[in-house]
Amino acid sequence: MPGVYDCEIIEHSAVGENVRRTVLHCPEIASTARAGQFANVAVAHGTDPLLRRPFSVHATYPSDGLFSFLYVMVGRGTALLSKMEIGQSVNVVGPLGRGFDLGDDPDAKHFVVAGGCGAAPLHFLCEAICEKWGCSGVSVLSGAQSRDAVLCETEFLSHGVDVGISTDDGSYGYHGFVTALLREKLAAQADCRRIRVYSCGPHAMMREVAGISREFGVASCQVSLENNMACGIGVCMGCVQKIRGAAAGDTSESEWHFERVCRDGPVFDAEDIVWD
Amino acid sequence: MGLTKPNLAVSIAGLTMKNPVTVASGTFGFGREMAEFYDLSRLGAVTVKGTSLEPWAGNDYPRTVETPSGMLNAIGLQNGGLTDFLEDKLPFLRQFDTPVIVNVVGHSLEEYVQVAAALDKADGVSALELNISCPNVKAGCLAFGSTPEGAAQVVSAVRTLTRLPLITKLSPNVGNIVEIAHAAAEAGSDALSLINTLLGTAIDPWRRKFRLANVTGGLSGPAVKPVALRMVYEVARNVQVPIIGMGGIMTGIDAVEFMLAGATAVAVGTASFVNPMAALDVIHGIEKYLASMGIGDVNEIIGAVGK
Repeated sequence: MPGVYDCEIIEHSAVGENVRRTVLHCPEIASTARAGQFANVAVAHGTDPLLRRPFSVHATYPSDGLFSFLYVMVGRGTALLSKMEIGQSVNVVGPLGRGFDLGDDPDAKHFVVAGGCGAAPLHFLCEAICEKWGCSGVSVLSGAQSRDAVLCETEFLSHGVDVGISTDDGSYGYHGFVTALLREKLAAQADCRRIRVYSCGPHAMMREVAGISREFGVASCQVSLENNMACGIGVCMGCVQKIRGAAAGDTSESEWHFERVCRDGPVFDAEDIVWD
Repeated sequence: MGLTKPNLAVSIAGLTMKNPVTVASGTFGFGREMAEFYDLSRLGAVTVKGTSLEPWAGNDYPRTVETPSGMLNAIGLQNGGLTDFLEDKLPFLRQFDTPVIVNVVGHSLEEYVQVAAALDKADGVSALELNISCPNVKAGCLAFGSTPEGAAQVVSAVRTLTRLPLITKLSPNVGNIVEIAHAAAEAGSDALSLINTLLGTAIDPWRRKFRLANVTGGLSGPAVKPVALRMVYEVARNVQVPIIGMGGIMTGIDAVEFMLAGATAVAVGTASFVNPMAALDVIHGIEKYLASMGIGDVNEIIGAVGK
């Protein structure tokens, strides 16, 4: 269940170029958030900007009552959050949304595919998979534009999972898109039917990950979507995504319906999505 | 300061509310998500999202965009339809000790009539709010709400088939809201809700595109409050039915201003997006205002504004 909490800002730190990590104190969120969920943050006290900003949970430290966000400074909301002072309190609604499903196959292999700042929630996911199934079957593929933009590499490595990095410009790791790296990795597998793919990143990248996953016949592919949110709690119906089939309870032959990214997602089964 | 708590109960169109605060249709879903945050029984009434005869898919996205001290939305009244409301949404709401006001929408007169007739027979529906003011739906809806004749037509058609309190939700996107309010009241509307959102748009200058897929949307939030307050005042002064005032209410003090302007009750809308607890904060704020002013009954402030 989500709640509304005043959380003390414990730490702000710069993580590479234009990327910040903010650690907040909130025992409730720290102990109940699941990988893929987010929290909605009041970045201003007045009425402008009016709406909260959603941030995916990057890590939780339940024993210390802490959790963190990792975000690229892209606009007003992220700038405002990063400028709040340590010790100051920030109002947060969370944890929100439906997170990743880790499956029930103990022998599954897990491919975690990140694009840019999509790595943020996948660090949390990686930890959750390791905790549930152990780290031996986990591979992280993380793509960025260039070496400077690679996120969370050390954190992924610290879990002891297999990590592959790609950069668009070839300045570090595999030269090319992370989707090409995924294709190579899957092609090298004898059998893909027990592979679970999880992805977060730019829309076009996730669409490609979904396509490749289907092509190789993996067990499941889940993607974490983003959309303009007003409420973040499922009441405004603003942040919708086209989903295959008729809505629950709709007896028509409708080929698709809208679901809320904030409440029915942000994590969806890639096969359910009507890709733009 | 008195030792007893001020009376907060109001009566609107035969509906008794334990406090004057409900929520604006479309900002609260059908209550299920908000019930995770607090007990809905604490509200004066719950007003649910627009309900149509058949399921409505809603508009394409992007559907919302933030604006200075406000936001535009063009949801297009996505809802699961009447059957889904009766079988899934209404049973959930029955567990709460608060009136349920159902917002009714339609593409045609016949659709309004059919939805209203079904709701009239349903257990747990306390009142109907006729939505003739949604700016984001192509057919019906605002077409009725933009002329006195259209408003009267829908209200009379529904009036003949239900004894439930009938509230009509009016649009601010009209030349003279008092005329429309008059027509709705004359046709048998027991109360009026105002205002719905103000029609607007937003443009992304770098991409040279509209920010909403629907091009236009409805403006809400603190930015619209002065307009809403003026309209509530004008209608209250000229039309003899109670008003549920809404438009940018964020605090108890905002709500008090609407009541001073003539509203008998108020609805909290966009504020619930900003803070899920907003409606409760508004109730508390009204109570605090009354106590600090030494007023024993909230009814005393209705229309009590002077020049």
